[in-house]
Amino acid sequence: MSHSPKNEAAALKNRIGLIVCAAALALTVILLSLPMFELSASVYTKRSPNTFVGDEKYAAALAEAEAVAAGYPGASIEEAVTERVNSKGETTSLVVFSVMQSVRANAWRMLAALSGTGIAFWLALVIMLGCAVLAALLAAAGMRGTMAMEHRSLTPTPRALRTAACWLGLIALLCVPVLGMTFNYNFSRQIKLMTGGFETGNVSGVRLALEGLFFGGGTGDTDALLGALRIHTLWPLWALIPVLFAFLLGLILLRNGELKPALARGALYAAVIVLCVLILYPFYVMLITGFRSNAEATDMHFLHMMPTEWIWSNLPAIIDRGVLRFLGNSILLSAGATLIAMLCGIPAAYAMARMNFKGKKAFLGFVIMSQMFAPVVLLVGISQLMINIHLNDTIWGLMLINAAFNQAFAIWLLRGTFVSISSEMEQAACIDGCNTVSALIRILLPMAAPGIVTTLIFVFINAWNEYTISTVLISTPANKPITVGITQFSSFNMIEWNYLFASALLATIPVVILFMCIEKHLVSGLTSGGVKG
Amino acid sequence: MNNILVRHKWEPYLWILPSILLMAVFVVFPIGIVFKIAFSEVSKSGMVGGFVGLRNFVDAVNEPAFGTVMVNTFLWVVSVVGLSTLLGFIIAMLFNQPFRGRKLARSILVFPWAASLVIQASIWNYIIKFEYGNLNNVLLNLGIIREAINWRASYQIEFIWECGVGIFVTIPFVTFCVLSGLQSIDAAYYEAATVDGAGFWKKLSMITIPLVKPSLTVSTVLNIIYVFNSFPIIYTITKGAPANKTDTLVTYLYMLAFYDNKKGPATALSVIGFAILCVAAGAYMMLTMRKEDEL
Repeated sequence: MSHSPKNEAAALKNRIGLIVCAAALALTVILLSLPMFELSASVYTKRSPNTFVGDEKYAAALAEAEAVAAGYPGASIEEAVTERVNSKGETTSLVVFSVMQSVRANAWRMLAALSGTGIAFWLALVIMLGCAVLAALLAAAGMRGTMAMEHRSLTPTPRALRTAACWLGLIALLCVPVLGMTFNYNFSRQIKLMTGGFETGNVSGVRLALEGLFFGGGTGDTDALLGALRIHTLWPLWALIPVLFAFLLGLILLRNGELKPALARGALYAAVIVLCVLILYPFYVMLITGFRSNAEATDMHFLHMMPTEWIWSNLPAIIDRGVLRFLGNSILLSAGATLIAMLCGIPAAYAMARMNFKGKKAFLGFVIMSQMFAPVVLLVGISQLMINIHLNDTIWGLMLINAAFNQAFAIWLLRGTFVSISSEMEQAACIDGCNTVSALIRILLPMAAPGIVTTLIFVFINAWNEYTISTVLISTPANKPITVGITQFSSFNMIEWNYLFASALLATIPVVILFMCIEKHLVSGLTSGGVKG
Repeated sequence: MNNILVRHKWEPYLWILPSILLMAVFVVFPIGIVFKIAFSEVSKSGMVGGFVGLRNFVDAVNEPAFGTVMVNTFLWVVSVVGLSTLLGFIIAMLFNQPFRGRKLARSILVFPWAASLVIQASIWNYIIKFEYGNLNNVLLNLGIIREAINWRASYQIEFIWECGVGIFVTIPFVTFCVLSGLQSIDAAYYEAATVDGAGFWKKLSMITIPLVKPSLTVSTVLNIIYVFNSFPIIYTITKGAPANKTDTLVTYLYMLAFYDNKKGPATALSVIGFAILCVAAGAYMMLTMRKEDEL
């Protein structure tokens, strides 16, 4: 078989792919052998009251702590001094010595210690290792005898082997963050269960493993150990991510022959996933906090990403505090504002789209200008006006204000919709003796239904989310819309985050769903609808 | 011709009358009140007296926090509008590529736009709490940090967080505007450019940006107005504290009017705000009107 330049190029690419894979695997093994997990705990605490640094008692306590520390390999002593002046004006001092022992373990040691405990951390480690090794084996099998072949000319079998290797490489890569997470989260959860007195099958396995790690098979005060255990992942674990990424790229090179398109595609998906996670993050926080107990929501040592128990009773609790009333007010307010805005906006938009009159441009200019004046800048004027016309502190006043400040958008969107619909049918109807009112109601409105629904929902959502005017105008709790109502859970010195977010959840879900329905229509209406004309 | 037959000359005015009435009473009238108070003497009890010329303006400018507030307003508008436009543009380019699950991703992108600002600001206020905030919680869980970090160690950092939240909630609007512009671009342009050997940057600067410009202009001008007038984020996270150091113009004038009971300087600030926005409004009107004439 003669070697054409093309084959040689393919052989070179494959060789590079193989070398990258092998190097990445070797690095993985090295990283796994480095200490990547750290467990530290104070194994012994000596509290010595009425002790001043340097005096006899201090020396005695220190000696005692040192004696204990000598029993633990690698233990260090931490010292904390608290001085206070008591009511008699005497200075008292408390010295606390803690014997801190920290154990650094590499992946192999953790694997040996934890095998059989069945906690997810151990499983993720096994899956990661298995996938990486299997991927390498499959890739090697797929390369046998096809080293110099273009990937297009491959037979199905080596191709399938290489593809499978790629997927396994991807799984191995994804296992790394899972590993870090389960080590910190799942492991600490088991320990919390243990200190809380729940001894299940897994838990006693973890207890044995910890005793093995800390006391090397000997005995020690395990309960004291558990109470003060802190766990960390160290950099070698996170260094696994780029290394395994390089491994995956090597596999992709072996499979496709071309790296660039595969890389671009991977980067696109990675970017979209990261973005979606970032966007959903605050909403995830709202969801989980809304179902936590208040103690859990404000616990600084609370280290769980999900509520330990989903407190459904938060919902009846916030209903007791009047949230249904607020929601009802919001519905009334938004529906009323939408109705008024549409009743005034549709005729105006109709005239703008279908009729010629003097001052049309001036009116359009006025509509656009009104958008510049956000209600917040006019707050003083609005509250004065509302007091004058006795609509202060009522939902009706809010309704009218919201309708007025949404006129610009309503006319803008509706006019765009009307303009995009041909007026032939209406013209024919007008010639047949139909007047402009029935031309609008019978002909144009049904055809413009999608645009009208979009406008309707948009105005509704704007009124629903409005906060600033409501907070100034409404002082009677019974008249508050939900955006203002939820602030009753955050008083100056105490915020009931769980109730706040449970109510926020109820206020958010409907508008997000409504918004999703109109998103496509809305954007084209905003950017181009008004321009045509 | 798109117009329909109108029987009477005055008929169009009848059609726009309800809208004009509504806006006259609830938009124009408050504007009038604000202007009147801004040039009148206001007693401690809130009684509006006679004309005092520019005294309220002088009082407003002489408030110790005035300089800080104006600088903050400028930083707030420029950073939020600028960065959200840049990031929104990049995200729109991403979302313009075909990929699996694009519809779902679009729906997710809607969230920050749809949800109420005061609610989102409350969530972020919780997330960045030092003692029990969720950000420290998550980072500790992932093993990325060892000790809880104080994310709001100083008011400057808190202000940066507020700008970040502003950017977060503004990005979707920009993205969707740019996306609608991108989707209207004929793929033939790109094919021709590829044949001519144009690279990514060349295509971006010669095709994408010029053709997306109209949507970008609309979104930018609208954003300048919204962000300038944005109230809930700052009011929820810091309330302008400490000592008005994180206030922008609108939160500051709210505090002046409803906490310090200084209605005169507050309305004077409103008028200053109008003046600033009118520049933006003028630019916006000119741009839209010019487009009207072109078509």
